[in-house]
Amino acid sequence: MDDQQREISTDTDRGFQGRYSRRQALKGAAALGATVGLGSLLTACGSSSDTSSSASPSTGTPKKGGDLLVGVATGSAKDTLDAQMSINEPDIARQFELYESLVGHDRNYQIVNLLAEELTPSPDAQVWTVRLKQGLEFHDGKTVTADDVVFSFQRILNPKNPKAGAEQLQGLKPSGIRKIDDRTVEFALERPNAVFDVGLAYYQNTVIPIGYDPKKPVGTGAFKFTSWRPGLDSDFARFDNYWGQVANVDTVKTIEFPDDTARVNALLSGDVHMISNLPGAQITVVQADSSFRVLNSPSGGWIPFTMRVDIPPFSDLRVRQAMRLIVDRPQMLSLALNGQGRIGNDMYAREDPVYASDLPQRVQDIEQAKSLLAQAGQSDLTVELPTSSDYVGFPESAQVIREQAKLAGVTINVRKLDSGTYWDGYLKFPFAQDFWYTREYLPQCAAGSLPEAPYNECHWSDPEWVSLVEEAFRTVDVDKRKELCHAAQVIEYERGGYIIWSFNNQVDAHSTQVQGVYEDKSGIPLMSWHFNTVSLG
Amino acid sequence: MGLAKLVLRRLALGVLTLFLVSLVVFAATQALPGDAAHAILGKSATPERLSALREQLGLDRSKTSQYLSWLRGAAVGDFGTSLAQGTTVTSLLGFRLKNSAVLVLLAALISVPLSLLIGAWSAYRRDGPFDVAHSLVSLSLASLPEFVIGILLIMLFSTQMFHIFPAISRIPSGSSAWNQPQRLVLPILALVLSVQPYISRILRASMIDVLESDYVQMARLKGLKEWTVVARHALPNGLAPTIQATAISIAWLAGGVVVIEYLFAYPGIGSLYVDAVGSRDLPVVQAITLIIAALYVGLNLAADVITILISPRLRTGLQ
Repeated sequence: MDDQQREISTDTDRGFQGRYSRRQALKGAAALGATVGLGSLLTACGSSSDTSSSASPSTGTPKKGGDLLVGVATGSAKDTLDAQMSINEPDIARQFELYESLVGHDRNYQIVNLLAEELTPSPDAQVWTVRLKQGLEFHDGKTVTADDVVFSFQRILNPKNPKAGAEQLQGLKPSGIRKIDDRTVEFALERPNAVFDVGLAYYQNTVIPIGYDPKKPVGTGAFKFTSWRPGLDSDFARFDNYWGQVANVDTVKTIEFPDDTARVNALLSGDVHMISNLPGAQITVVQADSSFRVLNSPSGGWIPFTMRVDIPPFSDLRVRQAMRLIVDRPQMLSLALNGQGRIGNDMYAREDPVYASDLPQRVQDIEQAKSLLAQAGQSDLTVELPTSSDYVGFPESAQVIREQAKLAGVTINVRKLDSGTYWDGYLKFPFAQDFWYTREYLPQCAAGSLPEAPYNECHWSDPEWVSLVEEAFRTVDVDKRKELCHAAQVIEYERGGYIIWSFNNQVDAHSTQVQGVYEDKSGIPLMSWHFNTVSLG
Repeated sequence: MGLAKLVLRRLALGVLTLFLVSLVVFAATQALPGDAAHAILGKSATPERLSALREQLGLDRSKTSQYLSWLRGAAVGDFGTSLAQGTTVTSLLGFRLKNSAVLVLLAALISVPLSLLIGAWSAYRRDGPFDVAHSLVSLSLASLPEFVIGILLIMLFSTQMFHIFPAISRIPSGSSAWNQPQRLVLPILALVLSVQPYISRILRASMIDVLESDYVQMARLKGLKEWTVVARHALPNGLAPTIQATAISIAWLAGGVVVIEYLFAYPGIGSLYVDAVGSRDLPVVQAITLIIAALYVGLNLAADVITILISPRLRTGLQ
């Protein structure tokens, strides 16, 4: 089988055949509608059937070999190689290169099997059984077995030191993980969870071998560990026994650039082939040069303003609604993100088929905002908005909302904090900002909106909403669940604490030397750091 | 001998200074909101993860005991373990310290003789075309911060105009700065251009004073060769204030690399320093602060000793 054939069949396998039927039924409609939002600018060389749009001539068989150099945003000596506890962007990049989950998301944000050959829920969605693909290998040559899966999930759920994906596994306790045979594991949940598969697909919930040591990282990803210097760079080599599409390039080196200018300069001067997070102001610079391309991927990622609903002034619903009416979303999108995104409507999970797209788009209404504020006795409202430069659009959108609020007589004092100070306080500030990658609705609730969610930044605990969401978690019937999720979203639309003004595009850039790139809806940079399709022409 | 006593006394004072610096740095980092555990976990800091990490890092101990245990280690040359990385500070600093030293040393070796030459020549040919040009250029360079010079150099030589030198100076793993000379050009040039005007302007000013002094007139009247007048009589006296300025400039270079290293993504102690402050990685912050403080103490002492040795009046005054 030549490379092109192999790639297509792999993609088909990952995209559709490998999916189990219930999920297929759920996502079927979405998959039909989920072709790529914008026409691809890029040559998806020898790539799959669904997203390729060859702007330049396809070269057929991708070229083998070469050392891919990737410039990554942020990076610090505090970075980690831990397979289940990534924090910064370079950590996440290394995680996707080295490790894999049982199931994952494809470029259209549909769930696909990775290490799993089959994932089957019981009729009540309380017991989930996963069967591993045959002959899976870790980088050290050891076969992936059920024992490794049990070890991996017990490590994630360690009550003393839970790993980053723990809260996504709603209903699972360490005692509920059971090995059935060498390739089968059963997850018996404490309560039904109809979207447990999405939790398993979370990129932090990776499978690692028994006795895993983050200092000598071993996983199943398309690249294996060679060396790493925290805050500087990491070198990985192609894993030749990878179960999926084996990488074209020999090695991939990710180089970390905390400074945006240095990262863009590195691309322009030819020091790296690709960079993540092209700053909005540099898009035209890169586009103007014919040796570079911008990779612009619409995503379900969002950068909300968060209002605490439990303390004044935002405990008053009228004040929250006034703030939501103050925002001119198209203007904010164009000023803060250079127009790279789609406007939001104060609800999250844009890429989930349950997204309530039928609710009317909220638009700026200064008169209404003023009258709501007057009713609430807050006509001369003054609030502080802490921000940091940790994420594209943070300080920019803070400046924009400050200006827009003046129209309604609201004074917003923007206070820029350093990273450590900001994340120390963001769950406590009455008014703040956050960023989220693409996620489905219910998993997003588990991460950020349910009362016990670890990142409940709005301190949201509306009882009616909570009971709807809890019921939705238990509901196996897809249509019924969609109705429940819709009702829950109406509540958030009417009285929630988020101002969700956009779903941002993920904007990256690369040199024309790079082939085999594609748009990815996850909101995670550079095709979710999957470099196995990339070749250097 | 007087000089040895002076050096010993100054060294003792230097150690005291370093101790005080470490106290101030410790107090300052404690005043920052958030701690290393918070900085490491960032957005994912849940109470369970925070307390697990704090215990692991020893941040649950009292402030005094944290400082004292650091001090005990530092006294015997053990700078402890990085909170962010879990490796020893020494291993984290190792190659970065070498890289920064290469940058500072080369910048000093180029900028000092160059500025002395330019400064002396400007003073000697005062108000001539060279002097006017030098005044103009050095004044403009001196008024630009080093990062602006760096950005201008990148635009000129790497991205916009020419593609001669790399825009970033990332030294690949397994290679040392020495093996990547083309990556050193722009950062060194930026550093040279930011200190050179300062030193050469000071030398020019003091040389002008000296060249107009009575003893230089006297030497000329005695009929000494011009070269002897300048090299033997004028320059040594003109150098005295310049040596102090040079010492401060080199020490400044050690601080200035922080910005330049960040701009060029150069793996040195400067970029590590910025990072460590953000991560509240106290042992690393302490170690780098002490290195830079020690450099200041050492260079000032060296400058004083050299000034004494080359100035006839001070030299005889000591004996």
